[in-house]
Amino acid sequence: MKIDEVLCTACEQCIPYCPMGAIFLEGDMVKISQDECVECDICRRAGVCPVDALYQPELKWPRTLRSAFSNPLVSHPDTNVPGRGTEEMKTNEVTGRFRRGYAGIAVELGRPGTGARFYDVEKVATACAKLGVRFEPANPVTFLMEDRRTGKLRPEVLNEKVLSAIVEFDLELQKVPEVLKALKEVAKEIDTVFSLDLVCRAEPDGSLPTVDAAKSAGFEVSLNGKTNVGLGRPLKEDG
Amino acid sequence: MTHSLHRRGTEENLSNDYIVFAIAAQGINADGASAKFARFAEVVEKYEPVSFGDMKTGNVFSVGMEEIKKNFKDNSIVHAVFTDPDVVAEVLKELKEIDLGLSIVVSGLLEPVDRCCRQAGTPRHTVEHSLGIWGRTETLPGEKVLEVSTMCGHGMVAFGLVEEMVDRIKAGTTTPKEAALELARQCHCGIFNPVRAEKLLASMGK
Repeated sequence: MKIDEVLCTACEQCIPYCPMGAIFLEGDMVKISQDECVECDICRRAGVCPVDALYQPELKWPRTLRSAFSNPLVSHPDTNVPGRGTEEMKTNEVTGRFRRGYAGIAVELGRPGTGARFYDVEKVATACAKLGVRFEPANPVTFLMEDRRTGKLRPEVLNEKVLSAIVEFDLELQKVPEVLKALKEVAKEIDTVFSLDLVCRAEPDGSLPTVDAAKSAGFEVSLNGKTNVGLGRPLKEDG
Repeated sequence: MTHSLHRRGTEENLSNDYIVFAIAAQGINADGASAKFARFAEVVEKYEPVSFGDMKTGNVFSVGMEEIKKNFKDNSIVHAVFTDPDVVAEVLKELKEIDLGLSIVVSGLLEPVDRCCRQAGTPRHTVEHSLGIWGRTETLPGEKVLEVSTMCGHGMVAFGLVEEMVDRIKAGTTTPKEAALELARQCHCGIFNPVRAEKLLASMGK
């Protein structure tokens, strides 16, 4: 995002709308740090600029990643899914992505409200890859990997900053504690935050095996969460 | 992904916060889904959600209901926010009856949601928990700000904007309700709960 300096009246109305704190007053001018801006477009879309001084220039690769990962109205070209670009458990009864005996883990770097560079995304991905996880193929971060066995990302993207990006994979249920402990360790090496999710298929009695797996690794599970109620069709056979 | 997960809060202040949304699986059942989203919208609208939105278009506070209804796409993700789990159970019952074939997900306190599912005859299929925030958590604002801002899972409600709204409430230049609606406007997909936010902001603005 850029500001037309001729039009801008430095009223500062846009400043609090930026999730990254990238808009600032310098002297009598309002400016946007191009290094910190994640191209989420919220400052412009909020419609608070009285003179329409905010404008979106055409983005070029790899900066286009900022918009794809940060603006929820933009669908990821690789998955056709808006938002962070992945369906994960939302459609599990149709895709069969997470089966009984397995779990899904998603590590959303930069969330909440902090942003992340892809070099930190790579740190998490490589730590998990060492434990033999299977990265979700229909996930935009997986598309950026030059090697899915190692979790290494394409070098030209590493310094790009996005509002958040999700490292997503599935694994055997018994591996969950080991991977969660590894995530606790890699969390000490990154320069941002991540929000962590754990997914499983409910058992026939409604119980959730991931709860005990998380607790055994020293994690508390949230009181709230997401429940897919299984109404999607065609229904994938259980397994 | 996960846009409605990771809402921070206590059991008490999350007790009026339930999101029901519909999504199609790309490459499997998404062809022609736009008409099904329209039908989904008709159903949930009857139950008077406190917010509504489509990730492809915007929310009821930013672009309005009619604009959303005119623009459903096959890769839409359509959301309605409710404050009462009994209403959610009724919504689920009706969605089960009309059998759209879209995936339906409910976000909220898991025990009440489980009860809703049982009441509606739609047992839970897959469940996702949050395991919290890790890494440089010292850079985050206080928990009260997070409780408000995390209601937009795409990060469109800036921490600084929440703090600005609280300052305005304290200064008497806006009300908690007006502030909640201004924040809700930023959350494109419409999952920000303005009723819950109003209560939280009123408490913060005292």
